Amino acid sequence: MKSLKNHISLIIPLFAILFAVEFYLIIDRLIADYEVRLSSDYSIVVVSKKPLTLEELKVVDPGIQSMKEIDSTLIINRLKENSISVNYEELKEYLPHFYRVYLETLPSSQQLEELREKLSKVDGIERVETFRKTHRKIYHFLLFVKNISKLFLFIIFVTSVMLVFKQIEVWNLEHQERMYIMALFGAPLWMRNAILVKLSIIDTTVSTILVYITYSYLISSGSIVKLLGIEDLSIDPAQIAGDMLWLFGIGLFISMVNIIIVSSRQYRIATV
Amino acid sequence: MGSKSVIIAKDLTLAYKPNVPIIRESSFRIRSGEFVFITGPSGSGKSTLLKSFYGELRPQSGALQIGGVMMEQIKPAKLAFLRKYLGIIFQDYKLIKEWTVKKNVMLPLLIAGYSKDVCEAQTARLLKHVRLQGKEDYYPLELSGGEQQRVAMARALAHNPVIILADEPTGNLDEYSSRVIWGLLEGANEQLRTTVVVVTHSIPPNLEVPYKHFYIEEGKIYEIS
Ligand SMILES: Nc1ncnc2c1ncn2[C@@H]1O[C@H](COP(=O)(O)OP(=O)(O)OP(=O)(O)O)[C@@H](O)[C@H]1O
Ligand SMILES: [Mg+2]
Repeated sequence: MKSLKNHISLIIPLFAILFAVEFYLIIDRLIADYEVRLSSDYSIVVVSKKPLTLEELKVVDPGIQSMKEIDSTLIINRLKENSISVNYEELKEYLPHFYRVYLETLPSSQQLEELREKLSKVDGIERVETFRKTHRKIYHFLLFVKNISKLFLFIIFVTSVMLVFKQIEVWNLEHQERMYIMALFGAPLWMRNAILVKLSIIDTTVSTILVYITYSYLISSGSIVKLLGIEDLSIDPAQIAGDMLWLFGIGLFISMVNIIIVSSRQYRIATV
Repeated sequence: MGSKSVIIAKDLTLAYKPNVPIIRESSFRIRSGEFVFITGPSGSGKSTLLKSFYGELRPQSGALQIGGVMMEQIKPAKLAFLRKYLGIIFQDYKLIKEWTVKKNVMLPLLIAGYSKDVCEAQTARLLKHVRLQGKEDYYPLELSGGEQQRVAMARALAHNPVIILADEPTGNLDEYSSRVIWGLLEGANEQLRTTVVVVTHSIPPNLEVPYKHFYIEEGKIYEIS
């Protein structure tokens, strides 16, 4: 039927936009999860003459999450393996304390350098090993992924906005005649637009539901995490449901902008 | 007749393009409750003149007053207000394709804000008058040309307008249907004192109400008595 075609031609671009926005939200959260996991794998090593406490270090930098002392027998054992002949008991007294320090988030290279300097100034600390090379690899990889996903969203968004504008034109043509006739009989603007408002509420609702169904399916089948090769990370379906309110709002907002554009053209018709 | 004028034109010039006037510096008046015919050759500007009455074309010069409203500088809100009191039958009908016959007829009633019951009753009554009962749920494109014209007629009468502007309302109708339409226009004119302005190629014989006749030729409007 004709009206079905009308609906579909609006639902498709709306679906595309909402799908892209939801995709971005999901990817954004996945990257955040991924970042946490990367930062929990990454640690720096601090060598100190005297024992350190976490509280002490937190004063230096609140971004420090936890620390673990590296058992000195491990180091001694390694020396033993190399059969270096020293008095190991004596050496144990002599050896400094080794700490593995974990951070809350993955710092940038510059932040890492600042952290190193701050820690080095702490009384007793002799050395700070940041494993710069490893850090830089991880950090740059994440930056790359984040920016790629932003670029991706941007491209989808621009394409979809173009689709919507295309649709505005179609909409305008499709409804122009009816609104013009209504205007000839003195219908006020709100009445002429009531159809469009109704149409866009229905279509936004349908699009939102379709997006929800699509993602529910993609998530339950694990397609997204499989596609990204991060099967050990999970997407919370409840969060998707929560996003739908936002998507509905965005869809409605876009539709209302359409309507304003369409009705600004009607204004000309009514005044000839 | 001493009743007041509802349409007053003074040196009215109508044009779509500057320097190509369709109506040139014409003056006339139509009083409340009059039945007026406008005739003239094809392309002489009959539809154009009606367009200026319902505000789709602004006078290029001169003055035009409809129901006391000056049409030269009319604002959209005022125009919408004025149009509620007009009942227009367009030469090309201008039915809303996406709406059923019933909803099309109901349009002026919906705009006037009548209750659903009144809308339904009035629409049913008018569709019966134009002999379209049983076609309420058809869409305009499912009707013949003459049937569409009768829907347009019903719509124009639905809200008991103060002025009816009809552009060839019987152009597509057989003799019997034409008589029905003329009867409806006469009825509105006689019983409700509605001012009726009809563009036509041939004035129907044996009309029962007195009427005025304007003839348009070469951009000038002549009153024939
Ligand atoms: N929208 C328009 N833009 C430019 N010129 C127009 C427009 N509408 C009509 N005209 C011109 O105005 C003139 C009068 O047209 P109009 O439709 O008023 O004639 P008419 O008397 O109603 O003719 P008919 O009896 O065939 O309906 C014509 O020459 C036509 O070309
Ligand atoms: Mg005409």
